[in-house]
Amino acid sequence: MTGLDVAFAAAGTVAAASAVLSVTTRHVVHAALWLVVSLGAVAGCYLVLGAEFVALVQVLIYVGAVVVLVLFALMLTRAPIGPNEEVSASPLHRALAAVLAAGVTALLAAVLVPLARVVGAVRRGGPGTTGLGEQLFGTWVWPFEALSVLLLAALVAALAVAGMARGRGAGEP
Amino acid sequence: MTEAAKGSRAAGIPGLVRGLAATARTLARPTHTSEYPDAPPSLPPRSRGVIALLAENCTSCMLCARECPDWCIYIDSHKETVPATTPGGRDRQRNVLDRFAIDFSLCMYCGICVEVCPFDALFWSPEFEYAELDIRELLHERDRLGQWMATVPPPPALDERSADPAEVSALGKPARAPRAPRQAAAEEGQA
Amino acid sequence: MSPAVEVLVRTVAVLAAFLVLPLLVGQTEHKVMAHMQGRLGPMYAGGFHGWAQLVADGVKFAQKEDVTPAAADRPVFRLAPAVGLVPYLVALAAVPLSPGLVGADAPASAVLVLAATAVGILGTLMAGWASANKYSLLGAMRAAAQLLSYELPLVLAVASVCLAAGSLSLTAIAGAWSPWWLLWQLPGAFVFLVAAVAELQRPPFDMPVADSELVFGAYTEYTGLRFAFFLLAEYAGIVLMSLLFAVLYLGGWKGPLSGDLGWLWTLLKGFVVSVLVIWMRVAWPRLREDQLQRLAWLGLVPLALLQLALTGVWVVATA
Repeated sequence: MTGLDVAFAAAGTVAAASAVLSVTTRHVVHAALWLVVSLGAVAGCYLVLGAEFVALVQVLIYVGAVVVLVLFALMLTRAPIGPNEEVSASPLHRALAAVLAAGVTALLAAVLVPLARVVGAVRRGGPGTTGLGEQLFGTWVWPFEALSVLLLAALVAALAVAGMARGRGAGEP
Repeated sequence: MTEAAKGSRAAGIPGLVRGLAATARTLARPTHTSEYPDAPPSLPPRSRGVIALLAENCTSCMLCARECPDWCIYIDSHKETVPATTPGGRDRQRNVLDRFAIDFSLCMYCGICVEVCPFDALFWSPEFEYAELDIRELLHERDRLGQWMATVPPPPALDERSADPAEVSALGKPARAPRAPRQAAAEEGQA
Repeated sequence: MSPAVEVLVRTVAVLAAFLVLPLLVGQTEHKVMAHMQGRLGPMYAGGFHGWAQLVADGVKFAQKEDVTPAAADRPVFRLAPAVGLVPYLVALAAVPLSPGLVGADAPASAVLVLAATAVGILGTLMAGWASANKYSLLGAMRAAAQLLSYELPLVLAVASVCLAAGSLSLTAIAGAWSPWWLLWQLPGAFVFLVAAVAELQRPPFDMPVADSELVFGAYTEYTGLRFAFFLLAEYAGIVLMSLLFAVLYLGGWKGPLSGDLGWLWTLLKGFVVSVLVIWMRVAWPRLREDQLQRLAWLGLVPLALLQLALTGVWVVATA
C-alpha cells in the first residue's frame, strides 16, 4: 500500500458512498449536493492518477455547470426543505433499482478487479495535459469532431424548439 | 454595453463613458462631508436649536404656556405683596416665578412662545447638543434654560430697505399737539 | 527547507494574502466610492483615515449572534459559506505573483482557477435554497442563471489566451506575454473583465443581490460570521479576478525592474483592475435580468468566439 493507493481508495470510497447517498436520500436538493461530492471525489481519483486536466475539467463542467443547472431546475420546482414523499419511488421500484445497480456493480467488478490485479499498485502516469491534447486532436480527432457536431446539432435543435414554443428564438439558458 | 448589444450604440457607450467621467470628476473634487463632532457645523442665522429663558423678564403672564400647541411649558408662580414705597401709597402685588420648565420631548420648535412673549423673556438659541439617553430628562428647568441665554446670538440686523422699527419711527414723529378743549361736550353737559 | 516546512510556509502565506488583500480592496472600495460620491468614507476606526474600519467590521461580525432560521435546512445552510469561500482560497493559491512566487504551481493552473470559481458558485445556490426564504431563493435562481451564462464567455476568453501562449499554466502564459497582446487580445480582455464582474455578482451585474427587490438575495438570512464569510468571498473574488486579469492580459510581473520587483508589478496591476471594478460599481446602474442574459449570449459569447478564432488563425499562421 503506497500513499497513492490510500489516496485513491479514500477518493473512491467517498465517491461511491456519496453516490449511494445521492440515490437513497429523500431530500431532492440533498441528492444534487451529494452528486457534487461524488463528482468531486471522482475528480480526486483522476487527480491521484495524474490526469489533472481531466480532473479539473470534470470539476469545471460537472460541478460548475451541470450541477448548477440541476440545482437551478430544482429551484424552479417546488422542491421542499425536508424529505419529499411525492418523489420517492415505490418499494417495487426500489427493489428493481437495487437489483439493477447490483448487477451493474457486479459486471464492472468482474471486468475491473482482474485488471486491477494486473496493473498492481496505483501509479501516476497517463499522457499528461500535452499528451492528452495531442491524442485528442491527433488519434481521436474524428470521434471528437463528430461529438462536437452532435452537440451543436442538439444546441440548434434546442433553440429551434424553444423558438417554436415562444414564437421567437432567443438564446436563454 | 447593454444598449450596445441591442444595437443602439450611440446611446450606450457614450452614456457609460459619461458615467465614468462624472464619478472621476467627483473623485478629484473636495468632498462635501462636514466632520461634525470634530468641526462645528455652520448653522444658518435664526437657527432654532433650543429655547432660552431670561427669567428676570418673565412676569408669569402664562401667555406662552397657553399658546403652546402641545402644552410643553410649565409655569408655577405665586403673588407677593410689595409694600407701598411712599407713605399713604397702596401696596402692590407682583407675580414671582417659582418654576419655568420646557419639556423638549414635546416641543415641536414652532416658536410661538418666543413670538407671543410680551416682555422678551424667551429667545431662540442655536445650541442643539442637549440629547439625553432618557426621554424624561428632556424636561429642562429654569436654571438650565437660563444657562442657554449665553448662547443666544444678537438679533440680526434689519434688512437694508426695511421700514424702521416702530420705536424709531415713533421717535421721529412730532410730539402730539395738546388736545383741543372739548367745547361741544362741555356745552352739552351744561344744557 | 524540508518539504513539510515549505508547504506550511506556502499555506500560511496564501492564507495571509487571502485575508489581507480582500480587506485592502474593501478599504479601497470604501474610500474610492466615498470620494466618487463626494463623501469622505470611514474616518475614525484606527485613527488615520479609518484604515481599520474593516477590522472593526470583522470584530462586529464576530460578536453577532449566529442565527439559523427555524425552517432552514440546517446542515446545508451552515455549510454554504464555507463552500462559497474555500474555492477562492484554492484558486488564489494557484495565481502566480512572479515566476517563483506562487502558492502552488499547478501545470494547468488556468483551468484550476476557473474550476475553483465554478465551485464557489455552489455556495450561493446552497445558501439561497437552504434559507427557506423567497427572496433568497429568487436571488439564488438569478445567480444560477447569471453564472451559467457568464461562465461560458469567461472560459472562452481564458481559452483564447491559453491558445495564444500555448500553455494552460498561468506562469507560462504571463511568460509568453508581449505588449502586442494588449491589442491582439483586447476583445478577449473585454469579455473576461465583463464576465468576471458578472461572475462576482458585482454592480452593474448585481441582479442576484439587488437590494431594492431582494433584500440581499441568497444571503438575506445570514448573520454574523457566516455573512462575513460571504462578503469576504466577494472581495476575495475581486482580488482573484483582478490578479488573474493582470496575469493573463497585462503581463503580470513584466515591467521595469521585473527581476526583483515582479511580484509588486503583478499586485499593482491587479490593484488597478480592482479599482476599475470598484469604479464600475459607482458609475453604472444595475442591468435588468433580460439585459444581463442578452449581453451574455448575444454580446459576449460571439465576441469571445471571434477572439478565439482570431487567436487560432494567428497562432497557426505564425507557427
